[in-house]
Amino acid sequence: MIAPLLRSAALGLALAGPALAADPSLDLVGPLSDYKIFVAENTAQLVTDAEAFAAAIKAGDLDRAKALFAPTRTSYERVEPIAELFSDLDVSIDARADDYEKAEQDPGFTGFHRIEYGLWSEGTTKGLEGHADRLLADIRELDGRITALTFPPEVVVGGAAVLMEEVAATKISGEENRYSRTDLWDFDANFEGAEKIYTLFRPLIAEDEADFVAKVDGNFQAVKDVLAKYETPEGGFVSYEELSDTDRNILSAKVNTLAEDLATLRGKLGLG
Amino acid sequence: MRLAPTRRAVLLALGASTLALAARAQGPVPQVSDAPAAEARDAARRVPFHGPHQAGITTPRPENGLVASFDVVATSIDDLERMLRLLTDRARFLTEGGPVPDLDPALPPADSGLLGPVIQPDNLTITVALGASLFENQPWLAGLKPARLQRMAQFPNDALDPDLCHGDLSIQICANHRDSTMHALRDIVKTLSEFLVLRWMVEGDVPPVVPDARGATPSARNFLGFRDGSANPDSNDAALMDRIVWTGGPHEPGWAQGGSYQAVRIIRNMVERWDRAPLAEQERIFGRRKMSGAPLDNPDGTEHHVPDYAADPEGRITRHDAHIRLANPRDVESQRHLMLRRPFNYSRGVLPNGQLDQGLLFISYQADLEAGFIAVQNRLNGEPLEEYIKPVGGGYFFALPGVRDDADYLGRALVDAARRT
Repeated sequence: MIAPLLRSAALGLALAGPALAADPSLDLVGPLSDYKIFVAENTAQLVTDAEAFAAAIKAGDLDRAKALFAPTRTSYERVEPIAELFSDLDVSIDARADDYEKAEQDPGFTGFHRIEYGLWSEGTTKGLEGHADRLLADIRELDGRITALTFPPEVVVGGAAVLMEEVAATKISGEENRYSRTDLWDFDANFEGAEKIYTLFRPLIAEDEADFVAKVDGNFQAVKDVLAKYETPEGGFVSYEELSDTDRNILSAKVNTLAEDLATLRGKLGLG
Repeated sequence: MRLAPTRRAVLLALGASTLALAARAQGPVPQVSDAPAAEARDAARRVPFHGPHQAGITTPRPENGLVASFDVVATSIDDLERMLRLLTDRARFLTEGGPVPDLDPALPPADSGLLGPVIQPDNLTITVALGASLFENQPWLAGLKPARLQRMAQFPNDALDPDLCHGDLSIQICANHRDSTMHALRDIVKTLSEFLVLRWMVEGDVPPVVPDARGATPSARNFLGFRDGSANPDSNDAALMDRIVWTGGPHEPGWAQGGSYQAVRIIRNMVERWDRAPLAEQERIFGRRKMSGAPLDNPDGTEHHVPDYAADPEGRITRHDAHIRLANPRDVESQRHLMLRRPFNYSRGVLPNGQLDQGLLFISYQADLEAGFIAVQNRLNGEPLEEYIKPVGGGYFFALPGVRDDADYLGRALVDAARRT
């Protein structure tokens, strides 16, 4: 599914290439290049953070490795719609135990969540050194591939809804970071990534779609208000377990409504 | 039976030519991937949406039904009104049927497409009910909770799964075909995402039964193989329904007249164990013959014969702890505890122990929750049937009064009352 898309993107400049939308409005050029900068900043940060994270694991510093786990992931979660275009790396970096028949014991289970399992459930960095090296190598590879990637406009614009689907499918239930309970960090990063895309393209539709942008603005704000209640003074988030049922319901309703609304963004911008 | 070769050949040839004739008369021979043929008149059947009471309570139970329970996200009476109006609009459209709007193909389609471009009504009913938690969590609904509405409490034989219990709002959806109930549920989940967060959902069905010579059908069988509903009150008797099913009177808030208390119970049946129980034991546990449904004191009668417990004071024929005798002792007092049952059978795969996850999606409606379901269930506590059943979920809800006309909406009287207080 993804390969043909990548090929078409790699074949030429997406903004001018014939493989993509017949005539993507020149208005899209600015937001798209701004988004590319946003992604580049995040992947650069991801490489830096992953180096420190891997170093802590290899030094046997359990506390430091645990402290670095959630903040390292956020740069990945913010740009997930682009990162997951490379499905081989997405699986290797971010697959969960559920994706494997033998779950945690499956030899194919690697990446962030395999390390998370080791740090929290097994309570040690021992045996994680190889996983740390592999994660760092995968992240460097991802950074290199993204730098070379011409961003398909429909993927970028559609990414706002993709991020909401991510939250709706695995974050709202607390399944994603089940060993560390740091789901609210991912949650926040997914929202930041979605809001970034929406904010970049918002000026193009604000005039014709006043009701739509008012509703989406309101729902993003409502999410921020709820998440703010769970922030720690250090800029992180408390455990997912502290999320109240009432707030989880509010977040769930907002996420699903944002997913419904942001799913129309491509069409509204003429990127069927 | 062996036929002489010549006679056999003649019969075979006759059979083949008859088949060929029939095929020519009926059109093309069906192919493996053709959809099973539905009856056009079934799909066209419509249950009126407008009326003093909601449909889906005393209206005939079609083959498919589900109950979905939601948490409500509403922070003001305005939110609640918007939600109820939107829900009414969807229910009115889906039950009436009609063309699905054509949208720009660059946008997501207007609905799931499960029913194609034109929705057939298909006997669809959508019945909306509110849970006690909605009233208790919203200060602007304080004092407006229906008098008997409460959170479902655990009965002795229950093993309640918190993921299958309670909720702020339930929606019962019934239709002739499962694609109609699922289409309606997906429409509601999609269009009301701002207000409704799904908690649990159980789907079930009742097997269709071939009518007898007089056109009457017996009660459908549950997953224990017994006919279920034989003693249900006559849902066409409006005066009886006013007494048993519909709320009314000064003890209920003014807005809550003409509604009904809905008790939903997800009751697992241990079917493997049941199938290993002797037939006579099964019949003693229920108090009925398994095949006919006849009460044990009238074993050659029908399921509709009324048992004469007065003639059996020591429980020699029908044990005192038989299910139907406990549930309805047929005395003067039991007239106070009648309810209208409208259950579906459910089947949800396999449990971790390797047993089938099957049971009854029990749904009952009553004018008084305490005198109805709760009183009857308290009488049933400890019954021998408990060895074979395990309630695992459900909840109590209050089905809103009906929607009168196009200008009305579900819960309008509640919203008006909340604005006055």
